[in-house]
Amino acid sequence: MKSILSFSLNGAPVEVLVKTTDTLLDVLRESLGYTGAKRGCDAGDCGACTVIVDGLAIRACLAIALTMSGKEVVTIEGLGKQGDLHPLQKAFHQHGAHQCGFCTSGMIVSAKTLLDKIPNPSQDEIVEYMSGNICRCGTYVEVAEAIQAVSGGKE
Amino acid sequence: MENVGYFAPSDVGQALELLAEQGSKATVLAGGTDLVPAINYYSLWPENLIFIGALGLDYIKEEGGKLLIGSGATWTQILEDPLVAEKAPALAQAARQGGSVATRNAGTVGGNLANASPAADLTVILLALEAEVLLKSSAGKRTVALKDFFTGPGETVMNDDELLMEVQIPLPAGSAAFQKLGRRKAMTLSVVNAGVKLNLDGDTCSGACIALGAMAPTPLRCSAAEEMLVGKKLDAALIAECAAAAVAAGSPIDDQRASAWYRTKAGTAIVARALAQAAGIGG
Repeated sequence: MKSILSFSLNGAPVEVLVKTTDTLLDVLRESLGYTGAKRGCDAGDCGACTVIVDGLAIRACLAIALTMSGKEVVTIEGLGKQGDLHPLQKAFHQHGAHQCGFCTSGMIVSAKTLLDKIPNPSQDEIVEYMSGNICRCGTYVEVAEAIQAVSGGKE
Repeated sequence: MENVGYFAPSDVGQALELLAEQGSKATVLAGGTDLVPAINYYSLWPENLIFIGALGLDYIKEEGGKLLIGSGATWTQILEDPLVAEKAPALAQAARQGGSVATRNAGTVGGNLANASPAADLTVILLALEAEVLLKSSAGKRTVALKDFFTGPGETVMNDDELLMEVQIPLPAGSAAFQKLGRRKAMTLSVVNAGVKLNLDGDTCSGACIALGAMAPTPLRCSAAEEMLVGKKLDAALIAECAAAAVAAGSPIDDQRASAWYRTKAGTAIVARALAQAAGIGG
């Protein structure tokens, strides 16, 4: 069974035909061409597909796409673009908070929701909040540094 | 999976009618954190999904001497709710230790219970808090104590036409504590977990509930161990003896997370820690 799903993606309305068992991640990557959210584990464990739905970080791989009807979805593509990067994107770049880069979009999206909630997080708060985003290259120290650099609005 | 039906009822009445019509053909979808991996990995082939996220079941309130939590309340709601923090802080403590921020933003308390994992974290503290669940169908409603709710791994007493509506925690919720051992701190299922609730009369225990997870096919209440505490003053020796008795009620297995031997050793320590924490005894 296919149904039409309508939701807001990075501020613009979209309509897309989806199967019931399609996840938000399937629809973003395969139907809409938004490949910033990565498919790591497809089980909610790794955090590479983290997106923001109505202000909260969720796993796109765990969300049945049709449940997104009427919701506001923001992906890494909605945070900044070439030449006009989000402060977190700049800080991740400046601090080398990525190596292979696979986890990075999920890391930045999670970090954005952390700073929306706690503008000046402590090191412990950063570690606890970011613990659901896994990096196989081991960039955790640099990720925390990049978040610290942006926190409180300073770049 | 081309032909799976999708229903998103907008009120409880519609949802119950759909469940009554479809019976075993319906799979209830809430936060999806347990269900969707099973779909993604083809271990679950639903006929129809009924999404219950728009039924207004995400409330947390106090009424009639009970803390009432709608089955759709998320882990994040529970761990941030001021009423939970005041009335049942051990529940918030358990919520904080489950999964990650992103899975806690989606996963619900109703899902944690209905999924009936023997290792579920919210479940084990709710069991210790003597919670009941309100089940509704188009034919009526009933409440079931959590200690009578689970029948096996992934199995509960719920009928196909019933919806888990609400969790009800009797207040006051005593002095309670939750302890969990995972293979790491975050984003991990429990190797063993425990919830305890003590009613303390000065320093004498007048009632105890001890719940243990990942030690049997269902989350367990350890009644023999509970009885050991009643009328006694808790100290380190009694706690150690009681924790050993609690774990003796289990029948742990070897699996990918731990061996039965390890679960028994670690479970004893986890129960002892939870008891000490609830009793306010250092260590």
